Amino acid sequence: MLSLHRLSKRFSGVPVFSEVSLQLQGGEFVALLGESGVGKSTLLNCIAGLEPADGGEVLLDGVALSTLPEAGRAALRRERLGFVFQAFHVLPHLTVAQNVELPLRLLGRQAAPAMAARVAALLDAVGLQGLGERLPAQLSGGQLQRVAIARAVVHAPRLILADEPTGNLDPATAARVLDVLREQVRGSGAACLLVTHSAAAAAAADRVLRLTPGGIEAAVA
Amino acid sequence: MTPALLRLLLWREWRHHPWRHATALLAVALGVALAWSVHLINQSALAEFSAAVRAANGDADLSLRGAAVPEALFEQVAQDAAVTLASPVLEIDTLLKRPDGRRVAVRVIGLDLLRAAPLAPELLPRLRQGEDRLAGFDPDAAFANAAALAALGSAEPGPLELQSGPATVRLRHAGSVAAGGTPVLVMDLAGAQGHFGALGRLTRIDLRLAPGTDAAAWARRLALPEGVRVATPGADEQRVSNLSRAYRVNLTVLALVALFVGAFLVFSVVSLGVAQRAPALALLGVLGLSAAQRRGLVLAECAALGAAGGLLGLLAGTAMAAAALRWMAGDLGGGYFPGIAPRLQVGPLGVAVFGALGLVSALVGGWWPARQAEQLAPAQALKGLGTGLGAAPPAWPGLALVAAGALAALAPPVAGLPLAAYAAVALLLVGGVALIPATVHALLARWPRPQGALALLALQRARHQRATATAAVAGVVASLALSVAITVMVASFRDGVARWLDTVLPADLYARTAASSASADQAWLPPGYAASAAAVPGVLRVEPARVQPVVLDENRPAVVLVARPLGDPAAVLPLLAAPLPAPEGAVGVFVSEALVSLYGAAPGRPFVMPVAGTPRTLWVRGVWRDYARQFGTVVMDAADFRRLGGDDRVNDLALWLAPGAAAADVQQALREALRGTADPGLLEFASSAELRQLSLRIFDRSFAVTHYLQAVAITIGLVGIAASLSAQVLARRKEFGLLAHLGLVRGDIVRLVATEALAWVSAGVLMGLALGVAISLVLVFVVNPQSFHWTMDLVLPWARLAALALAVLAAGVATAALTARNAARAPAVRAVREDW
Repeated sequence: MLSLHRLSKRFSGVPVFSEVSLQLQGGEFVALLGESGVGKSTLLNCIAGLEPADGGEVLLDGVALSTLPEAGRAALRRERLGFVFQAFHVLPHLTVAQNVELPLRLLGRQAAPAMAARVAALLDAVGLQGLGERLPAQLSGGQLQRVAIARAVVHAPRLILADEPTGNLDPATAARVLDVLREQVRGSGAACLLVTHSAAAAAAADRVLRLTPGGIEAAVA
Repeated sequence: MTPALLRLLLWREWRHHPWRHATALLAVALGVALAWSVHLINQSALAEFSAAVRAANGDADLSLRGAAVPEALFEQVAQDAAVTLASPVLEIDTLLKRPDGRRVAVRVIGLDLLRAAPLAPELLPRLRQGEDRLAGFDPDAAFANAAALAALGSAEPGPLELQSGPATVRLRHAGSVAAGGTPVLVMDLAGAQGHFGALGRLTRIDLRLAPGTDAAAWARRLALPEGVRVATPGADEQRVSNLSRAYRVNLTVLALVALFVGAFLVFSVVSLGVAQRAPALALLGVLGLSAAQRRGLVLAECAALGAAGGLLGLLAGTAMAAAALRWMAGDLGGGYFPGIAPRLQVGPLGVAVFGALGLVSALVGGWWPARQAEQLAPAQALKGLGTGLGAAPPAWPGLALVAAGALAALAPPVAGLPLAAYAAVALLLVGGVALIPATVHALLARWPRPQGALALLALQRARHQRATATAAVAGVVASLALSVAITVMVASFRDGVARWLDTVLPADLYARTAASSASADQAWLPPGYAASAAAVPGVLRVEPARVQPVVLDENRPAVVLVARPLGDPAAVLPLLAAPLPAPEGAVGVFVSEALVSLYGAAPGRPFVMPVAGTPRTLWVRGVWRDYARQFGTVVMDAADFRRLGGDDRVNDLALWLAPGAAAADVQQALREALRGTADPGLLEFASSAELRQLSLRIFDRSFAVTHYLQAVAITIGLVGIAASLSAQVLARRKEFGLLAHLGLVRGDIVRLVATEALAWVSAGVLMGLALGVAISLVLVFVVNPQSFHWTMDLVLPWARLAALALAVLAAGVATAALTARNAARAPAVRAVREDW
């Protein structure tokens, strides 16, 4: 589903990573570890088509990102990718339900009742039943991250990219959020690449990889 | 909070956003500069004019004045034990012929030089080289001041030719006098009386009283003949001040408008700065900065802006005033200070007041954002979650302000000025702006939820961030409202003047002897001339008019009495209502609106005023609009005027020409008809089209400065939109970054922001239009009548207003789109990583 072939990236001529190759199958939950500054988040951005790679290729369902124009990459993100961030990034002026619904609205393929039903079901699934009309300011950090997870999976993407999703949460909340993320990923059949520093988070993954300046290697969680 | 901490927090913020703060600073500076320069120009011109009046009047304790003060009165008061010095004066307003044949208004002052010397030293002659030392007593010698010499174009002019009725008087230029101001010629009293047909007549007796004399009590004891009144030394200066006061005050208020709009810009910039820095302020709150200290921090920022802007404004305003005085000679288009070249007069009180205005405007503009910083919830703000929708903003403060504005508009003038009406304009403006959040809330609450993601984002943001958006829209509302109000007022006035000209200029050709009514008494045509003119080939009909200045109130400029044939008054005068019949035996007159508001004249009621030096009870048959004379005009039938003892002299002629008659030939023939009885050059001609064109040109010149100020207000408003939207867009980089992750392209983000801006600026434009029309009602129906004593009909120039509104709308949306385009260039990955 996701294939990285000898991917490399430089910033101002300084190599960040190089020769990164990786295969991810649908339904697979993979954790990516690495030292700070090794380029984990940059790798996610290259996979999402938000940053160009300096060498190699990213293939998503066989489509090479480098061959797509900006609009094509944006359409691909809209349709096939889901994101979860460390800092949640829910829009403060949208309600919880509207935040979750946003990717569906951007795709514009479903009628309002169908969208509402899908959002309600997801909010139930992530433990936010009855909170759909609340504003983000009225939620806790753990609840906000569950909103972000619901938003990441609501449109049934093929790949979910999660960048330190538990980095701002206490261990207990982080564990609950990871459970929700894993459940949703498995339930949706999407692949998930989880960037983390947390051994506990990595332990929940099917496979654990480590990013080094020289490439990517299997690691023991 | 220590100054060091303040400096640390503010300096870094200013360095981070130099252009935004520079814009706010410049807006304050521009407002202060405009207000300060208008004040300086007016003050300098008025001071110069007053000094000239003082110089001409001398240093008397008291004056006895009148159009014809008998010389016998002088003999009487000179012998009074309480009078230590009495100086007889004859002032004649007439015309001085320039070398090119044109005539300029000049005041001839006839003095008894020996008596005048201690009282009016600036009027004492300085003999020209070679003149006899007794030339001051020569009845044919005159001494010119600098303005008169400038009008003649020579420091050593030849014989001085002056108008005395239809005849020309030739005097010898024997030297100069120091008195400044408008053109003045000083000569021996007896000579002046002889040359200008005023034997035995004075216009003034200046008196110095014995020390300890109660001047008022002494004056009350005098049995003054009819037509002679007691005048205090300041009366003339007061009259000069009153002449231009309304115009000066209106200009100053208009200039303050720029400062007012500048305060809105400070409000926009600072409140968006606060919104952008909310997490930083929250962090400071967590680190121990109290709520009051956060408010103080923002107010300190505003104070710094205001102080710097005020200082810059004072410097720029002084330079602008100096340039204006140099190039425009102190006349800001109103024509109230002709012929003087004032020096710049800067006083410490003015510097303090106008400098403080900059500070106050910035603090007023910053108060609301300072309160926002104070009320910030640190925990929520640190998470970047804002404070939620909260309760709907109450509408009552805005409604109360608007209601108070409406009530203030109904109040009478204060000290002859529309101060309550200005307050009404300010209340309406502030009330209208205060109503923005409530209006927007009401609109958005009823708006159906859109299906599209972009529309939903725009609507939800507008609902959630309406207070922030109010900051952006407030500038649009304020500047557009003021511009609309000024546009409507000027259009109404101009339309009124144009229609008025249609009524008052029915003839084909006009001839006159003097441009000013003051000189009319010394420049008239021979009594039989109207009949001669009617006989000129090509002339169908002639209508003569006699124009005479009449002083009704010592502290006010003279009223003008016009005697002319009044066949059908409704056809020849722009009356406000159908004329009333005069009672049997009463003399009916038509008064201009100024007579009603300044002297209490009313239609269908008697009105007392001197005619030919004798107080007469006249009957007011109707009120008419006179846009030419601000201080009042009384129109009387020429036959009535003569019956009441008035002379049959003629100042103006209205001429109807035969079809095909060449105006130039007729003019030549009319001049020829004058030859032998008067100087043919005495007549000035203008066609009704020329007069109309000239009048409208003078009108446009008078309002040129208002267009300039209007442009400044709009510019400041647009800069406000740009600053506000730029700051908003910058503050939303994180949001745009997230949207890019979710699959939006740059174009989508630009469209999103442009849509939001379109909605907001549209709302602002609609509110600005409505508010502007409301304010224009106050300007047209209250400020103008109370300032200038004339009324007008409301004219709404829809095409111009629509163009103005569309320009503001387009500028706002374009600015938003441009700033969004710049913001969307920032990499999405960086935007979502930034904490602030």
